[in-house]
Amino acid sequence: MVRTLPGLRRSAVAAVAALSLAGLAACSSDDSSSSAVPGAAGGGDKEDLTSSAPVAASLPAGSTMEKIKQRGRLIVGGSLDAPLLSQQNPATKKVEGLDADFGRLLAKYIIGKPEVKIVNSASETREALLSNGTVDVVFQTYSITPERAKQVAFAGPYYSSGLVIATKKGETGILKPEDLKGKTVIAGANTPAIPAIKKAAPDAKILTFGSDPECVQALKQGRGQAYVQDEAVLLATAKQDPSIQIQGKPFTSDPYGIGLKHGDAQMKQFVNDWLKNIQASGLWAKVWKNSIGTVVQGDAPQPPALGSAPGSE
Amino acid sequence: MNVITDHLGEFGDGLLVTVELTLLALAGALVAGVVVAALRVSPVPVLRAAGTAYVETLQNIPLLVWLVLAVFGLPEIGVMAGLFTTAAVVIALYQGAYVAEAVRSGINSVPVGQGEAARALGLTFTQSLRMVILPQALRTVVQPLGNIAIMTIMNTALAAAVGVVELTAAANRVNLAEAQPIWIFVTAGLLYMALSAIAGLATGTLERKLAILR
Repeated sequence: MVRTLPGLRRSAVAAVAALSLAGLAACSSDDSSSSAVPGAAGGGDKEDLTSSAPVAASLPAGSTMEKIKQRGRLIVGGSLDAPLLSQQNPATKKVEGLDADFGRLLAKYIIGKPEVKIVNSASETREALLSNGTVDVVFQTYSITPERAKQVAFAGPYYSSGLVIATKKGETGILKPEDLKGKTVIAGANTPAIPAIKKAAPDAKILTFGSDPECVQALKQGRGQAYVQDEAVLLATAKQDPSIQIQGKPFTSDPYGIGLKHGDAQMKQFVNDWLKNIQASGLWAKVWKNSIGTVVQGDAPQPPALGSAPGSE
Repeated sequence: MNVITDHLGEFGDGLLVTVELTLLALAGALVAGVVVAALRVSPVPVLRAAGTAYVETLQNIPLLVWLVLAVFGLPEIGVMAGLFTTAAVVIALYQGAYVAEAVRSGINSVPVGQGEAARALGLTFTQSLRMVILPQALRTVVQPLGNIAIMTIMNTALAAAVGVVELTAAANRVNLAEAQPIWIFVTAGLLYMALSAIAGLATGTLERKLAILR
């Protein structure tokens, strides 16, 4: 017999309810970014990019963009836990990073205000969320591939990244992807690292974990000899954690695209025009400086040419 | 449909790992569950308390938390086992708490007279439990144990989160390459359904064979 005091049970129910409410509040992240205070709390040197961002001169009548404008905010499929790309700041609730900034800039371009709602999507659900209209666009390190292009339209690529290999400090003999042969390699679940490792070293054993901190922990505990992850993410990790070392240069090129509903050629053209606009005005480089530029030395790289990746034509 | 046929190998390997994980976890859970249920009905207060503590601790913390704790926490104190082994042990111990509660309800359903008769014959507590009470108790809880078996099948999917490439993780990997989530996850779902249907049928057969008509 498990006896629970009625009072205890009631307070437990209340606590659970409060917790789940807090969780809900955290998830629905109405990131209206009207936090006009630039870089309020944390990252004090970040400037507000949206104030100077362009707004489209006119929207074609009856287009998806017009519907978004009428609704008053852009619904973006994205992450809340990707450092430097799209991560929610627990102090300010603002979602920060490269993908998050591009989402706000696109919202400003369509609506005139950087009103964005981020729907937390996963790599398993992105195609479905776009095709059933739950989200307008996906900004989520969405690598353009011909297979995916059969289900969604890709504007861009807007950024090109690559995979690098990290090991524990002092590990020698793993410099190139070929060195991974016969080794146990850690990778993030549902990341392009898995097919890339299989291609470079077919007999490597791949261990996958859900999040970057778990992968790093597994590497440090010796569950695998190497960890393959996106360069930007690993640079940020290696900067925080001196026991991790990055080996060699990126060995792949991952073109990230903006996911749109399949067949919406009008919107694709519109988003590509916007990308051209912000690349020419230097805003693209500023977004990069604000996010990935905080861990990578030097100037912003040249943005990839629009339509250059197979699947984005 | 070639999304599925092209990746039969991956699905097959994943299914095999799921089945292995389920069978190992279930075997462990049955042993742990019977032992803990025995503790919970024992005449020694300390043992009863230990049994209760086991069930409450295991049931009141989600399985995913246990898995993450075991996979990432144990190496910090120098205990390092393979991912599959860790997952199998954790799921076994977790499901053991549920088995213990099911078995205990079975023990409670055995008429008091049975225990009294066993004691009158001079059997010790362990003897009466082993030879009189448990054989009757286990027969009455075949159906709940079948439910726990199905729950175990479903819970093995959580091992995907700690790097065990079972059916769910395999489906995820295929989807990563093919970007056809609906077909791929429907297939994985059908395979899980097939597994639980087998468990359900086995339970039904066992129940008909073992039931005691009172």
